[in-house]
Amino acid sequence: MSDIELLMNALGMLGIVCSIGLGIWIVFLLSDIKQLRLSVDNLKHTLDEMDEQAKLVVRTDIELNKAQEELDKKITGLYTLQTLSRQISATLDEAQIFSKIEPPLLADLGFEKAVAFGWDESHPGAVIRLSAGFSEAETAAISSLIDGEKTHFKRLISDERAVSSISPSIDQGFRNKVCTIFKVTAFVISPYLPKEGNKGIFLAGAENPDTVINEGDEELIKILANQIGQALDNARLFEKTWQAHQELESRVEQRTRELSQAFEEIKRVSQRKNDFVSNVSHELRTPLTSIKGYASILLSGKLGVIPEEAHKRLEKINKHSDELVQFVNELLDIARIESGRMTLKIAPVNLKNIVDEVGDMLTVQMKERQIAFSSILPDAIPEVMADYSQIKRVFINLVNNAFKYTQAGGRITVRVQRVDTGIQVDITDTGCGMPEDALDKLFTEFYRVDTAINQEVKGTGLGLAMVKHIVEAHKGNIWVKSKVGAGSTFSFTLPQSV
Amino acid sequence: MIDIGTGASIEKNDVAAVEEAIRHAKTKKVNKERIDLAFVFHSSDLPASGIIKNVSALLPNVPVLGGNASGFFTHQSLYKRGIVVMLVTFPEGALFTAGDIHNISSAGALAAGEQLGEKLLSGFKSVPRNLALLFFDRLTQDNAEFIGGLQERLGKSFPCVGASLSSPDDSSRSGLIFNKTALRDACAGILFGGKISFGLGLRHGWKPLGKPHVITAVSGNVVHKIDNEPAVRLYEEYLAYDFPRIRKELKNLSVLYPIGIRIAGQDEYLLRSIQTINSDGSLVCRGDIPAGSVTRLMISTKETCLEATRAAVEEAKTNLAAHALKFHKEKSSRLVIVFNSFPRAAALGKDARTELKIIAESLEPGTGIIGVNSFGEVAPLATQSYHGQTYFQNQMISVLIIEG
Repeated sequence: MSDIELLMNALGMLGIVCSIGLGIWIVFLLSDIKQLRLSVDNLKHTLDEMDEQAKLVVRTDIELNKAQEELDKKITGLYTLQTLSRQISATLDEAQIFSKIEPPLLADLGFEKAVAFGWDESHPGAVIRLSAGFSEAETAAISSLIDGEKTHFKRLISDERAVSSISPSIDQGFRNKVCTIFKVTAFVISPYLPKEGNKGIFLAGAENPDTVINEGDEELIKILANQIGQALDNARLFEKTWQAHQELESRVEQRTRELSQAFEEIKRVSQRKNDFVSNVSHELRTPLTSIKGYASILLSGKLGVIPEEAHKRLEKINKHSDELVQFVNELLDIARIESGRMTLKIAPVNLKNIVDEVGDMLTVQMKERQIAFSSILPDAIPEVMADYSQIKRVFINLVNNAFKYTQAGGRITVRVQRVDTGIQVDITDTGCGMPEDALDKLFTEFYRVDTAINQEVKGTGLGLAMVKHIVEAHKGNIWVKSKVGAGSTFSFTLPQSV
Repeated sequence: MIDIGTGASIEKNDVAAVEEAIRHAKTKKVNKERIDLAFVFHSSDLPASGIIKNVSALLPNVPVLGGNASGFFTHQSLYKRGIVVMLVTFPEGALFTAGDIHNISSAGALAAGEQLGEKLLSGFKSVPRNLALLFFDRLTQDNAEFIGGLQERLGKSFPCVGASLSSPDDSSRSGLIFNKTALRDACAGILFGGKISFGLGLRHGWKPLGKPHVITAVSGNVVHKIDNEPAVRLYEEYLAYDFPRIRKELKNLSVLYPIGIRIAGQDEYLLRSIQTINSDGSLVCRGDIPAGSVTRLMISTKETCLEATRAAVEEAKTNLAAHALKFHKEKSSRLVIVFNSFPRAAALGKDARTELKIIAESLEPGTGIIGVNSFGEVAPLATQSYHGQTYFQNQMISVLIIEG
């Protein structure tokens, strides 16, 4: 074989080997492509599966978002309702109640507009109580248009029923008219129903066509309308109470004025009485002095001997003149004290001196009647701030009284002691005493206890009245304790000297 | 250093509210006489005319930017009603110009953006400019063109940060405040420059869920087909809702489950919430989407949102640290402006308070914070491939720290 043939054979062999190799390689490559195709298919399948999962995620997310939105809306609505209720409940002015419902709060409730209206007997058309989210011109237009739907609105009030634009029971014609009148796409209407006064309609609406309302919104507006009704009741009740209070106050003022006038009148009458008593007393004293003078001259015998009978009569004239002079003097003193014309010479006074002087003054008479007189004064008793001569008159009057009403063998005790309010003086006797019902009137002018003994014991009925005036002029108090047959104790207080 | 004072009031009367908020803000400032700039945000129950009148009476000749917002906050509290005020005095070497443009739609978005850019640039000559802060009364699709026009003047990759104060669906709000004017269909901006540093942090907290899908037909912000199926099918499949129900509940669903676009180099997906669904099943998004983008359905929890807030503040601090070395070797202070998307804040609910606590605690004590709930945000994307181009964002929290 030539070299060429050998070369050709070798190349042929190589070709065969290469063809076999290529065939084997192609077989492997096809296997890889199939594998790759399988992997791609798997990946595509996985991607499709993931895409399906993504779709589930989106759908779940939508549901979650809606639930969240509902929840947020509900929470915001409830929170706003609470805020509004608090504000409305705190308002006692009827006109102010509706003004609390402002657009920002309405927006939080999910609405843009609100209107409240009703029909009042004193007004021919509908009365708009609230208009939020409407211009003045729109409000005026609404006012005239709602009368056309009066029957529908009145039925809602009488049925006490709330409706909304999504209510299945709502009349479609009425629904469309409400949307037109109030320029809203969704609404809730609820009547407000106060127990007293005019009832009305509360409407909350949304202009935005995307607004979705549900039963929860209907419930919220219903609660708000209830709150308005209650607030109106409260405001009206408050108004009534306030008016009653005002009336009462005006009556009290009127009565006070009348009482003041009566008091002034009494004061004037009292003053006239005092002036009269004072004038009459002065007028009486002059002729009395003359009578007493002439009686004394006649009694002295300077004008000749007077027959026995005449002498007796003259002595009576003299004695009665003395009594009359004392009576007139006491009247004058009371009048002076009452009118404030008496000037007290206030100075520190030692009561022991007064008690001793009064005791000495009555010693002879007491001995004659066998009445024991004693005084109980602690050594360290402080001085009192008083007018010496006036307080002495108090002592004389009270001790003299005790003497008059104490039978022979009895006892009169003067006790001076320190008390919280100053110095207290008690003058106690073992006399006949007085009935309890007489004690209140005892210090009244001209009052005399109606007892048998008083028929015999003479008195003007002015002594105790004068004593009371003098003690009170010293800013003290006077009172009496007594029992029939068990004696009496007259007590009075005087301010202590500082 | 920057001298800041913040104040707030919940008085119902505009005169009393402005007076109280400004008084509180002034008490917290070192220099009570010199005020360079005032930010004012108020609720819609206070009339813008009254706010403007009273602010200009109390702060004559002070540039005022702000407007009517549905929620705002300071470092102390969140507010739904009332007014918040931040008074700022900038340090020597810092420069800013403020300007406004209104009737954007009639002027054309692109032209309006260019006009505002020119107004803002008028105060800057040789001074290097750093950042534009923008307030819109509402952000719509046209705002991409507006930003384009603005960047035509300020620079293609010039950082612009801003937000809309009102929802594009809400025409009842009174709009922006710029100095003594209330503006509608407008943008008011500030261009900062000179010795002043910025750090911006952006996050949303939404995570991708399910397998990736490809946007197979899109025009601007309208996604026609996903995986060659009508775009709405994505929601039908994942939510198991029929078409009418999705349309009915779109407002809520769009906030909870926006779509996300994977952007290479970005930590988070770019969110696109759905504005409307057309009858052919196409989704009208709040912002453009590039054709062929890979999209995922997005989901969040309160925890992921709060974690995002924490990350946004940290990112702002990190970015600030990188820039701050240039100027502030000595003492400086910071003010923080936060744009927090309203839907995001609404989704957080009561946890919005926790979020504010996280922001305040992540910053140094005494840092002045003012924040507003926004409806769409504009901010640059961090990734290199986008060259810092400003992009329309949804459901973001943007934390801007300014140091000087």
